[in-house]
Amino acid sequence: MRVLVTGATSLLGRTVALNLARRGDAVTCFQRSTSDTGLAEYRGDVRDAVALLDAARDHDAVVHLAALVAPRPRWAEAYAVNVTGTRNAQAAASRCGRFIHVSTPSVAFAGVAAVGVGTEPPTYVGRDAYARSKAIAEREVLERADVPTVVIRPHLVWGPGDTQLVARVVARSRQHRLFVPDGGRSLVDTTYVDDAADAIVASLDHAVVGDEACARAWVITGADPRPVGELLLGILRATGRPGSMQSIPAPVAAFAGRFFEAVWPGDEPPLTHFAARQLSLAHWFDQREVQRVLDWTPRVRVEEGLARLADWFASQG
Amino acid sequence: MTRRVEPEPGPSAQQLSRWGLDPAWSRRVTFTGAEGETIDWHILDTGAAPRGTIVCVHGNPSWGYLWRDALVTLSQEWRVIAVDQTGMGYSSRPGPRRLEQRIEELVRFCTHEMLGPIVLAAHDWGGPVAVGASTALDVRALILANTALALPSGVTVPPLITAARILTELACRVTPAFVNGAAAMTDRLHREALRAPYRSAARRQAVAVFVADIAVRSSDSSYGALARAAGTFDNLTCPILLMWGGRDPVFHDRFLRDLRRRAPHADVEYFARAGHYLPLDEPIGPVMLDWLDHALERSSASSSPPIDDAIFHSVLDNLAARSSDASLVYEGPDGSLTWGDLAARSATAAAALAEAGVARGDRIALLVSPSVELLVATLATWKVGAVAVVADASAGIGALRRLVRAAAPTLVIGTPTTVAAARLGRFAPGSRFAAFARMAGVVDLRRAHGPHEPVTLRRNDAAALVHTSGATGPAKPVRYSHGALVEQRGAVTQLWRQASGTSFTTSFGAFMLLAPTLGARCVRPDFDVDRPEELTFDILAAAAHSVDTAWLSPAAARRVIATASGRKLALPLVMLAGAPIEPSLARRIGEITGGDVRAPYGMTECLPVTDGANPQRTGPLGGTCTGAALAGAAIVVTALDDVTGANLADGSWGEILVSAPWMFDGYDAHWCADEATTIWRGGRRFHRTGDVGYLWHSELFQLGRTRHVLHTADGPLASVAVEEPVAEALACGVAAVAVGPRGASVVALVLEDRRVLTLAPTELAERARAAAPCQVAAVLTGPLPTDRRHHSKVDRTELARLVGTVLAGR
Repeated sequence: MRVLVTGATSLLGRTVALNLARRGDAVTCFQRSTSDTGLAEYRGDVRDAVALLDAARDHDAVVHLAALVAPRPRWAEAYAVNVTGTRNAQAAASRCGRFIHVSTPSVAFAGVAAVGVGTEPPTYVGRDAYARSKAIAEREVLERADVPTVVIRPHLVWGPGDTQLVARVVARSRQHRLFVPDGGRSLVDTTYVDDAADAIVASLDHAVVGDEACARAWVITGADPRPVGELLLGILRATGRPGSMQSIPAPVAAFAGRFFEAVWPGDEPPLTHFAARQLSLAHWFDQREVQRVLDWTPRVRVEEGLARLADWFASQG
Repeated sequence: MTRRVEPEPGPSAQQLSRWGLDPAWSRRVTFTGAEGETIDWHILDTGAAPRGTIVCVHGNPSWGYLWRDALVTLSQEWRVIAVDQTGMGYSSRPGPRRLEQRIEELVRFCTHEMLGPIVLAAHDWGGPVAVGASTALDVRALILANTALALPSGVTVPPLITAARILTELACRVTPAFVNGAAAMTDRLHREALRAPYRSAARRQAVAVFVADIAVRSSDSSYGALARAAGTFDNLTCPILLMWGGRDPVFHDRFLRDLRRRAPHADVEYFARAGHYLPLDEPIGPVMLDWLDHALERSSASSSPPIDDAIFHSVLDNLAARSSDASLVYEGPDGSLTWGDLAARSATAAAALAEAGVARGDRIALLVSPSVELLVATLATWKVGAVAVVADASAGIGALRRLVRAAAPTLVIGTPTTVAAARLGRFAPGSRFAAFARMAGVVDLRRAHGPHEPVTLRRNDAAALVHTSGATGPAKPVRYSHGALVEQRGAVTQLWRQASGTSFTTSFGAFMLLAPTLGARCVRPDFDVDRPEELTFDILAAAAHSVDTAWLSPAAARRVIATASGRKLALPLVMLAGAPIEPSLARRIGEITGGDVRAPYGMTECLPVTDGANPQRTGPLGGTCTGAALAGAAIVVTALDDVTGANLADGSWGEILVSAPWMFDGYDAHWCADEATTIWRGGRRFHRTGDVGYLWHSELFQLGRTRHVLHTADGPLASVAVEEPVAEALACGVAAVAVGPRGASVVALVLEDRRVLTLAPTELAERARAAAPCQVAAVLTGPLPTDRRHHSKVDRTELARLVGTVLAGR
């Protein structure tokens, strides 16, 4: 299969591209800078519809991972990348025959705990610019799907080289700014990057007419939930250097998030209200249906993932 | 006086949808009424269905809406027709109707609709109508809810009815007071629908007439018709289900007692928390559905052959043989009792009970703590052929009151204190009281005018109602027959003689009743039996010096160990009863007593089941070894949720089913629980224990409760199998609970700690995870809540809730 992968510079995008190539698919990576994968490349911006159409020519599928992920993006920018970019990717995929859209569970985060939630008809909330833009994009993808389309929402992807979760946790901890509501007692699912990539590859194989996986949005996780505090401490320990986190009561965290959002001048306030709520509440999912439908199971448990992370930090010196 | 009111077009489709009814069910039927005129009924008819037809009759003041739950739930399998009686609901309003005419019109309706064999269901004053009509109809089964066919002797007319009768015109017709007052007895959500057809005084005419027609005295015009209906009911042979709301101020429990007396074969489902409008207060649909499946199947099968009672020996045989024996049967802090005393005193008490009008089959509630008086009262109860209702106060006074009320005793035996409390708290409305004391209006069980000839007990006669602990769900009344008690005596003798016991002490109140039946001597330790955790080493030692056996609950055994401080006492045998018993408990208590320790398996419904030998033996899946089945008992381990009860191979775990001649014969007035826990295998009745475990080389190993099974995405795990290795590795109390929805839940471990429930420190969590045999999502530390009754069963349901709250965040 000839597959165009957008956003291959991210940890997950890169892993997906390499996994596809390893199993024999012809992969083209589409992004602004170099992907550093050694695979065929097409330099371009997802906001550029023409470039995407051009890049996708003669391909069988588009796997769309490119997105603007930031704690507090500007709305115009988030809209342009996440909504317009996805429209462009879908338009390109319509000429190819298969479309995999990588979304996020945040689109459905309504500020309540998710305890063993199964796959349900999608609801969209979108509490901040990022989630809202991703929500609009996902809804449009499902509404406009004219070729076999699968939407994957990987939950908290992490692994060696991760610039989102792992890097932020480590940086915050070093600055003594890692605030965790209520000691991090809420149970959360995470997804090791290899498992998330496997799920996306599996979904590509299921993007065929008549498959159960099509035209639905699937949350995927490692199915090994842990208290969030335990995960953060695990990541800090994996760095090989002791780190610390500060426990604050959940309502205080929520208030502080609002406060920082209002007064913080930079792009990355120490805490946002959205992040505070997400860290305060359980988020874990019933994975039986998605595992059956995609014929995929995660292989890396939290301990194993942390061990690999520790090895990676050690190799980085 | 009676104005003719044209029938309204009936409820609008909009109204019906709002009330949760399918508008297509509403239709009108025109036929000739009892007075020869044409009448027009409104009915709710769910239409053709494979199983047959159920005709539902409402009372006053209500209408077909009353059967909403039955209509909705049963309509897939049954055609359900809920009628509005003449002049009621949305039916036409011709002249007044008396009971006889109502019966006639129900029959005419069924004939007009050409209904074949039917099931009749009725509520309130619809009961006499349906029962009266049953003679003229082909009735397959009868379902009655909170109704009456006669005023039980000594019962006064309910105040609501009396008031309505006096003020008939004003209360029922001119103002909507009666309609509103009745509707107020159920949930707010039903009130609009219940009142809707009775909006104007003219439309309420029949409500008033209905109230005026209630036959109380023989001079009342419908008295004859009501008496005939009662007579019909007494002779009904079809299956009968009595569904009863226990909080009905109108048709209270004494009406249920009257119906049960008239139809002893009726099944009963008692809803302690439901009120008069039971069909609206509780989901009765599923109950009706299950019961009909069961009842109609049963009536087509042949009934079991009658049992020959010629050779029946009751547990009272011992007593008769030893009436002049001066040796002690009981010693306790309240005094002691010889066999001769027991025989004489129980004979006097029995005579006093008989003189007070207690008859065979009546129920006597025993509000007496374990003592001389309890022994005398119990044996006297059996001598008059009555049923002993044994309830203890350990679950709290409110629970005790609920249990006594549900049993509906005709007499309560208590101490002066408990009699006063029971009277004040209305534990048993309408019943008499008795005590071993002189009190005004209370039968004195120490005096009788003449001797009483003990009745001949039969094998199937009910002997006792005892109650499940309530530690694992609401307490249920467990009924034992005299036949089962005799068999139980044999089983305990088998178990105990095997261990050569002759006299005993115990931490269980009810076990003291074993003394006269076993012919053994019982020494009651000096402590409050409602608080087994208060039995210390010293108290046990004082009681144990003259006996060879102690029956202890795990909580009592733990307390004895905790207070022994290195001392020892000589006790040849300790029997541990009450799950769960960890192997180390048996070992430690054995070290103190220096004798044999046994932990036989059993429960309130069937005790004992196994011999309890080798409590320290280990099996391949862990758990507690309870030994091999006693001769006569059968144990089956079946897959969870397997309704056929197929046997699993040795070493595979599942739910434990037991069967023994000495098991209980049913939950009283809890037909659904009976049905849910009974499995027939090869013509033998088995009880689903709700425990999980496995058989290994003929020995039964217990692994906890079915309700504590952890239903993870990877399959079910027995709680004990998860906890044991962790408890051993960390040397502390551990409880494993499931968090999240059944079938997709994850496992959390709680390590026992005195402080508030919180996440365990990383290092401790890692050790617990390493020891656990399964994937563990979270490790916490905190107190393990235990049940109030035994203080030994960790309340995992409550703990799971607490853990869920912690891990959900906020």
